Amino acid sequence: MTSMGTTGFEITVNLIKTVLVFLMMVQAVPILVWLERRGSAFIQNRFGPNRVGPLGLLQLLADAVKFLTKEDFAPEKGNRFMFYAAPVFALIPAAIAYMAIPMSVPLKLETATFLIQGFEINVGIVFVLGISSLAAYTILMAGWGSGSKFSLMGAMRASAQIISYELALGLSIVGVILMYGTFNFNEMILQQQGPLSFNAFGYTVATAALPNWGIFYQPVGMILFFAATFAESNRLPFDLAEGEAELVAGFHTEYGGFKMLMFFIGEYGHMMIASGLMATFFFGGYGIPYVSIQDVQNFGMNLFGSEIAANVFNTVVHFLCYNIKFGLFLWIFIWVRWTLPRFRYDQLMDLGWKTMLPWALVNTMVTAAVMFVTTYFMF
Amino acid sequence: MPDISILTTITPNHYLVLSACLFMIGVAGVLLRRNLIVLFMSIELMLNAVNLSFVTFSHSFGKVDGQVMVFFVMTIAAAEAAVGLALAVSIFKRFKEVNIRFFEHLKG
Amino acid sequence: MTADAFLFWFLAALTIISALSVILMTNPIYSALSLAMTMVSVAAIFVTLQAYFLAGVQIIVYAGAVMVLFVMVLMLFDLKHELQAFTRGRFSGAFKIASIGSLAGLLVGAMYSARINSALTESSIAANATSKGAITPLAEELFLRNVFGFEALGVLLLVIAVGTVALSRSKGGTHARH
Repeated sequence: MTSMGTTGFEITVNLIKTVLVFLMMVQAVPILVWLERRGSAFIQNRFGPNRVGPLGLLQLLADAVKFLTKEDFAPEKGNRFMFYAAPVFALIPAAIAYMAIPMSVPLKLETATFLIQGFEINVGIVFVLGISSLAAYTILMAGWGSGSKFSLMGAMRASAQIISYELALGLSIVGVILMYGTFNFNEMILQQQGPLSFNAFGYTVATAALPNWGIFYQPVGMILFFAATFAESNRLPFDLAEGEAELVAGFHTEYGGFKMLMFFIGEYGHMMIASGLMATFFFGGYGIPYVSIQDVQNFGMNLFGSEIAANVFNTVVHFLCYNIKFGLFLWIFIWVRWTLPRFRYDQLMDLGWKTMLPWALVNTMVTAAVMFVTTYFMF
Repeated sequence: MPDISILTTITPNHYLVLSACLFMIGVAGVLLRRNLIVLFMSIELMLNAVNLSFVTFSHSFGKVDGQVMVFFVMTIAAAEAAVGLALAVSIFKRFKEVNIRFFEHLKG
Repeated sequence: MTADAFLFWFLAALTIISALSVILMTNPIYSALSLAMTMVSVAAIFVTLQAYFLAGVQIIVYAGAVMVLFVMVLMLFDLKHELQAFTRGRFSGAFKIASIGSLAGLLVGAMYSARINSALTESSIAANATSKGAITPLAEELFLRNVFGFEALGVLLLVIAVGTVALSRSKGGTHARH
């Protein structure tokens, strides 16, 4: 874990940065809601919200006002403390976990270096998985605190699903960890720079046509990871926890107004973590394909002529590149939600335990065997 | 002025005392509570206290043996929790109660 | 007061308070949630001892899986009121508390008679492996020197898994066939 800096300037900037990343995450939610509603309308050949403001963009503000002015109520039979604590706890793990994902090359200003992420942790993957697994508590607290059968059923389903898919999720990235030999996101991204090249049997294999991304080494791991994150964030096709045909709205049946919105932010937060991790593990993180970090730096030097301006330019360009990848995965999340039907509960458990877990194990073993053979046998 | 170095300088002893406190709280839970699942949780508390002292010694001696031990303890604890909860569920099914007062005799 | 000392006292207070509430809360669900809180703060204490990987594993295994299982089972039972949460009898209760107290006193006394006075510094494990977060020495220790124990643990886990399934399929279990 890095320290918060030595000089007063560094500490201040690092603290502000942490708050900024959190705000960025929360501010992305209304945009995603808009994208989701417009996107679903587009997919289902409807109009969607298009009355308030250009393209319906101001609908979000209207919604926020509506949520804030709604009556604040708690069910009489429930447990008031749990009922109010659950939405607050829904926000915290998602926000803390998202802060550990790097979003751009570190910004160098004279002597100080600032990482474009909330904080850097050496065991980043373990940290993100651990913190985001705490989300099961908020669902259980909400379900139990509501004092309603539908809520409790939804909460039970959701937490059983999260525990089951955590196994497949964890095992699917063991191959990735083996390959990069690190838990640190930044080192992982730096290893994915440049064209595809690897050492096998004492030779170096390289092609300039493809970037050196994780997906070309771990395609099975990529598919398993992406499917498991859908289950982890309780999105369709795995949103059995809500299952509105059977359970009204699952664990947040009794919630309304701003408390409901906080659950929403938590759910979108998990989508964002999943998208960020997908980009980091399998698609080169903030790296731009075919262009190295040094190239962008040199281009900035030619354009602006000063070191600091080039550094800022470098950071901004890579930040945009990260956000393009990030946004693409978020769109896939929305796209899948409005395309695929929901699983049945036994199908969900079968998929998790009998299909994804064995495949993840096979992937791990094959990766280890291939790495061993290609490293220690020479021809 | 009283000596406050015990407050400002953190030695491994501080961690060991904390670990002892946690362990004692766990023992107290096992002795005083009567809910089967709370008993399990108190045992988990004791295991955590032991883990804490292992990590402390590993840190102060600069060796990782203690951390390896913690791995083993964690695995055993998870296994124990799985079996314990399965037992608790089947006891609850039969007696409709998890208070140990209701099944202290060895007969169905 | 330095930042390290402040962090330690804060985390120690958090751990002790949440551990006490595990055994003092009469509602077992509150107990379980406090235990999860204790696990998270113990993980934070591991971080102050530079055992970063263990802290992550602690959160994933204990807080993320084991305690969720506890909370789920408790919510399934839905114990509205608890009959006699604490042990019966004034004399035996006092005797138990007294024995716990004397045991605690003994332990703390033993620790102070064998003082380790060196202040907590950057340990050599963390200093040696700067980039990998001290995982490489841990892995070497686990997979080279303790590989037999590791394999034995795997066998144990298999036995436990079979046993748990058998238990839940037995009469009165969760998935009993009638």
